[in-house]
Amino acid sequence: MRISLAATTLSLLVASLLSLPARADQLRPFTTESFAQIKSNYAGREFLVGLWSVDCPPCLVELEMMGQLLRNNPDLPFVLISTDSIANRELAVELLADFGLAEIESWMFADDFEERLRFSIDPDWYGELPRSYFFDSSHAMSSHSGIMNLSLLRDWFAREIRVD
Amino acid sequence: MSKSICRALWQAACSLGVMWACASAMAAAANCTAEGGEVSVHCGNTPSATFDDLGRLWVAFVQGQHVYVSHSADLGRTYSPPVKVNIEPEEAEHNGENRPKILVIDEESEHAATVLVSWTLKTSARFTGEIRFSRSTDGGRSFALPRTINDDELFAGHRFESMYLTESGHLYLSWIDKRDLESSSARGEDYVGAAVYYAVSHDGGASFSANYPVAAHSCECCRIAVAPRGNENIAILWRQIFGADVRDHAIAELTPAGKVLGLNRATYDEWHIDACPHHGPAMVQAANADDYHLSWFSNGDAHQGIYYASYSFADRQARHVYRVDGAAGAGHPHLALRDGVLHLVWKGFDGQSSHIRLIRSFDAGASWSEPETLLSTNEASDYPLLVQSPDGLFLSWHGEEHGYVLQAIPRQSRALPDIEE
Repeated sequence: MRISLAATTLSLLVASLLSLPARADQLRPFTTESFAQIKSNYAGREFLVGLWSVDCPPCLVELEMMGQLLRNNPDLPFVLISTDSIANRELAVELLADFGLAEIESWMFADDFEERLRFSIDPDWYGELPRSYFFDSSHAMSSHSGIMNLSLLRDWFAREIRVD
Repeated sequence: MSKSICRALWQAACSLGVMWACASAMAAAANCTAEGGEVSVHCGNTPSATFDDLGRLWVAFVQGQHVYVSHSADLGRTYSPPVKVNIEPEEAEHNGENRPKILVIDEESEHAATVLVSWTLKTSARFTGEIRFSRSTDGGRSFALPRTINDDELFAGHRFESMYLTESGHLYLSWIDKRDLESSSARGEDYVGAAVYYAVSHDGGASFSANYPVAAHSCECCRIAVAPRGNENIAILWRQIFGADVRDHAIAELTPAGKVLGLNRATYDEWHIDACPHHGPAMVQAANADDYHLSWFSNGDAHQGIYYASYSFADRQARHVYRVDGAAGAGHPHLALRDGVLHLVWKGFDGQSSHIRLIRSFDAGASWSEPETLLSTNEASDYPLLVQSPDGLFLSWHGEEHGYVLQAIPRQSRALPDIEE
């Protein structure tokens, strides 16, 4: 399946292209190291992670709900991770914009070996979506499968969550 | 690695300059996706396979904007040049739960065989699609213009199709359908989940019946398993929403005239989830014609992991419920009954590698062998499928590392597994 010379040439070509300026959209490539990086960015602080996919109808219900919630709670620490392949990048960006989530820290699976990326987040997660993780300020983790709801978020967050 | 994904990756890398740590994709891209790169079973996506009576392997797969068919007369060592099923480009769904399906109706001359292909056409980004069908009546050299089988003419979700041909020659297509969700929404009413519909061809795919409803409130995002029931009916197993939010499984018998018989709940996992599991079940008919072997995934209150059970239409009971693999990362089982031995394959992940595992039962699911690992990979890979030729049982699988794999599953007698040390 491999032609090593071609692969080498290609990887050199790609390496040279990577020095170009980054694109304007907010999606960052999610690799096996990214989850640790996200946690370290939030060291000592509570935060919420929402995993979603363009191929998951309930995820869009959740994104709409979170978009609304964030309008009322603009400082809610929320990180989104799309489990989609890069082929769905434009669509994911479009959906996030539709739900008013364009400004939220957002990542997208950057390797189609998705089992390995899922494992780096939580070895006990079976891939069902939407999936949420809450880390309190000491980074004790809680998880939830299915659409998030207000009472769950109020249980999790120490801060007040406002609604209209 | 798919051409379309790699093309997108290239666009991202070249025109947008974003760094995507996608080493495996880059490596495979060199072989499979360069400009003018080959179209083949190895470079395509989500292959399905079947054997004809002559023992030739037929594979359908998606590459770029086309569904292709290729066949092999030497068990996968060499393949015929892939033939486009849809001449006009269109976007066929291709992910683990969504793949083109292929069946072959043998004729006396191998050049006259009828090749049947179905797939889901993605019509928008937001879960809409059409059930597509095409056939070749010249041994796979050319295919008829694809047609849409869902007859509601709605821009709505029609996805996750399954195809089955009975001994009597009735060709069934069944799928997940959102027409009732659409009409409920139009009336301002809520509708939980989607529905299951089907259509039947009585003439080898030349024409199809109207669409028949099977059940309301199915899960929206899992494949449907199909097995024969008698000479002309089929049994189907699908993920169904019970009550407000339990996504377990239902089973039913479908007739060529549109009747639904024996509809019943088949699994009691109590998976309360308002989410997409993306894990559809598997099913084969048992030696006892009223009984069916089922395998599925759940993360419910009662069951977590890959499970097996037998289900009898005679007394509407499930038996021999068995946890195949409770490890995180286990999923996507497939079943085959060969020479009286029940085979179950599934995919596991240990944190680094994916493993395709096999267990056997010599007593119709009452007990199972220890798992053995058939293949492993450190790169992305598809779900495992089992296919049968006139001569044996094979694993059909696809991954970035191996390309398309057809691997014989050795026969094993009942005597072997006991005391080996």
